Amino acid sequence: MKVGEILSSPVHTITPDKSVRYAAELMNELKIGSLVVTEGGETVGIVTSRDLRVTHPNRIVADAMSRDPKSIEPDVYIWNAWDLLNEFGVERLLVCEDGRMVGLVTREQISGKLSELRDPLTGLYRSAYIAAVGEDLLKRRVPFELMFIDLDNFREINKTYGHPVGDDVIVSFANTLKSQIDKSSEYLCRYAGDEFVIITLQGEQRVRGIVRQLRQTVYFCQVEVSATVGKVGPRDAPDFFDLPFRELVTRASLAGTKLKSHADTAKNPPVG
Amino acid sequence: MSEHTYYSRKATLALKISEFEVPPMQDLLIVGKRAPIGPEAVKRMADALSPDQFIVIKLDHPTVEAVLLRKSLLQLMDQETILKVILEEAGRILEDTMVLRSELKISLSVQREVHLA
Repeated sequence: MKVGEILSSPVHTITPDKSVRYAAELMNELKIGSLVVTEGGETVGIVTSRDLRVTHPNRIVADAMSRDPKSIEPDVYIWNAWDLLNEFGVERLLVCEDGRMVGLVTREQISGKLSELRDPLTGLYRSAYIAAVGEDLLKRRVPFELMFIDLDNFREINKTYGHPVGDDVIVSFANTLKSQIDKSSEYLCRYAGDEFVIITLQGEQRVRGIVRQLRQTVYFCQVEVSATVGKVGPRDAPDFFDLPFRELVTRASLAGTKLKSHADTAKNPPVG
Repeated sequence: MSEHTYYSRKATLALKISEFEVPPMQDLLIVGKRAPIGPEAVKRMADALSPDQFIVIKLDHPTVEAVLLRKSLLQLMDQETILKVILEEAGRILEDTMVLRSELKISLSVQREVHLA
């Protein structure tokens, strides 16, 4: 999900010498909340309905606008755009491609799309997020490791303690994962019920570190919890970059299942 | 009795003519935070009427948003000192919706003692 897919276009502009009253009337007529301020073909600012509300109507737009508007490229992910909005403390980003303004994206638009992608229980993104990240990395041939994390015996936890406790366990486990990942190089999602996926750009050593931590039994809500991690990376699959992302998830998931069945066999060796 | 209707419309014109001072803002303008004209408009006006003769100094002050100042004054006295005096004096009477105009004259008094040959 990229900024280019949700941007508003065309962008309406105004020159800085126009009055605030005129800008307000124009916004009202066009039913929009902002105008990009341009002078001599250059973008010099952005003026919003909020700016206009606190400025005398006789003033010129140059005295009401915010200077140095922040811009973003259309192929940036919306979650990265969200981080930028928060970093700069702004409500809107100009969308520019090759130095040309192609649209505008607002906090409201991005927030709306992100809430569609977010799992309401844990606050983590859903599988569509990790699929978008993975497919993009594959397209750009950026090597990564994919970990498929599955809670052990979650069905038993639900049966024994009830589903509300099961939900609490999921939330606590999700928070642990959140605290462990490096936001600049790792991506995390709740893939399904008790399954999570992490993509890391940090390589196999990092994967070993995460696996080691997750294999340790911990207690959430006085419930013993452990997880199994199946993984796939370029060294596991020579044709890694030619595989569809869905196939990588399948392989990591099956690797986890295999590990679980090995563990079960070790605990309860088959008789006969 | 016949009815006489008298109807008249008149207009009176009065002209008061005086010289338009150029520039009209004298030496400085003090712009309130909610004044009907902002610093950028003041700067554009000054640049149009007296190019390169004024600067706009934006301020972090409760009521004053900016001061437009004749540049030549800064050759006689440093900006900080001038602004301190302006804000102390004008800041007391200025409401944030106002724009004040002011003259600012700086006179320099020098007395020197020299050795006679």
